[in-house]
Amino acid sequence: MDRVIPIIINNLDEYASGLLVTLRLVGISFGVAMVVGTLVASLRITPARPLNWIGAFYVETFRNVPLLVLAIIFSAGLSRAGLPLGKMSAASAALGLYTASYIAESIRSGVSAVSKGQIEASLSLGFTYGQTMRQVILPQAFRTVIPPIGNLIIAMIKNSAIVAGSLIALDDILKVARVVNSRTFATNEAFFWAGIGYLLLTIPATIIVRRLEKRFAIRR
Amino acid sequence: MGYLLDPANWEWVFAGRNFMFLVERFLNNIILALITMALSLILGLVIALLRISKNKVTSVVTGIWIDVWRNLPVLLILLYFGLALPQEAKEFWVDIAPGFLPPQIRSSGQVIASIVALTIYNSAVIAEIFRAGIQSLERGQGEAAAALGLPYWKAMRIVILPQGLRRMVPATVSQLITLTKDTSLVSILAIQELVAAGSIVNNTSGSPFGGVGVPAPILQVYVVVGGMFVVFNLALSLLSRRLEVRERKRAGDVETVTGLEDQITIKPV
Repeated sequence: MDRVIPIIINNLDEYASGLLVTLRLVGISFGVAMVVGTLVASLRITPARPLNWIGAFYVETFRNVPLLVLAIIFSAGLSRAGLPLGKMSAASAALGLYTASYIAESIRSGVSAVSKGQIEASLSLGFTYGQTMRQVILPQAFRTVIPPIGNLIIAMIKNSAIVAGSLIALDDILKVARVVNSRTFATNEAFFWAGIGYLLLTIPATIIVRRLEKRFAIRR
Repeated sequence: MGYLLDPANWEWVFAGRNFMFLVERFLNNIILALITMALSLILGLVIALLRISKNKVTSVVTGIWIDVWRNLPVLLILLYFGLALPQEAKEFWVDIAPGFLPPQIRSSGQVIASIVALTIYNSAVIAEIFRAGIQSLERGQGEAAAALGLPYWKAMRIVILPQGLRRMVPATVSQLITLTKDTSLVSILAIQELVAAGSIVNNTSGSPFGGVGVPAPILQVYVVVGGMFVVFNLALSLLSRRLEVRERKRAGDVETVTGLEDQITIKPV
């Protein structure tokens, strides 16, 4: 580890741009995950059996499949099927749709944590199903859902390395470490700095999530 | 959709030994996951006990150890050990690997790198599961044991751990799901497992296994590969849910530990 300082000084630009690629990938994927996740969650909780099944099928498929396999399907798989996606689109589709299954489950368990009596009460007050959801259930569910979603963002930061490192080959921070390693043979140092880059994102995120968990904890 | 469902693109599944070949290679993923899980449980228990020990220094140091490894991408750890582990260690694995393991696992030195990497990462997660299991117990348990005059370690062994361990079983099974998915990453270290096998079938159009001339398109191959993971992991998650229900029935309404994607939470009553 005697080249720790020179390695970062000589390659600072590359590491910085790698970090930005990682952040962009996580940002776009998070948007995809939230939209699709909310949609799937509402499929799972609407009072219509066939829609519940579709939601359940989505969740069980996407969260039990390795992200690497999804990345291959969304890059090489789709392009062979005549549907070529750009690198960033393929990567964020894979990461976003994968995480959406977890987001959907978090939202669903947040909604089911609100007691059933509240739904019945608001329906008996003459609210429609949509109004009950919007005005009674979702505002409360929101509080329980924030911490798990924070945890999923942390998981996404780590998982971004998988989609970027697959056939898609985005120049994220892990890729930078591999390039620096093959150029300088300073394996320890090259990976050390990539590790620091990830920790710079994940450790503050962990601290924020722990705070939110305390703040949003509902005492019953 | 037409392309995905076109029967001509699925012929490879039944041609020659393609399907069995994939199943055999999936066994390598499962074996790797089980070896890693066994090692992680041992190491994780040690780390968790150090983490909850009354000694401030030990507890802080292990806390940092856990947080650092848990917050790094598993792929980074895997690639690092694949590159940095000395050649001697890799040769050592090839020499000592027990004969009952499949040849692809025995003959690749990178397997030891992947076991080390996955174990370091997973034991940090497992340690958090242990800790959550122990902390979910009512404080009164430890206090009662102390009041009865049991020394710390004895209280740990006969009062706290047996109850804490029960509560963490469902979370451990869900962690095994995450771990099984993570074993797909070792294909990047050129270890022969299911994802690598998929690319062999795709690249050779299934020909070495009897399906000569049958195209094996990459999309369909990886839909099958993904399907195998889904079937296996779905079985595990059903098991995990059933264990959780059983634990709730046995112990009444208690807090249970749940884990999802390496994140551990204590589920309140």
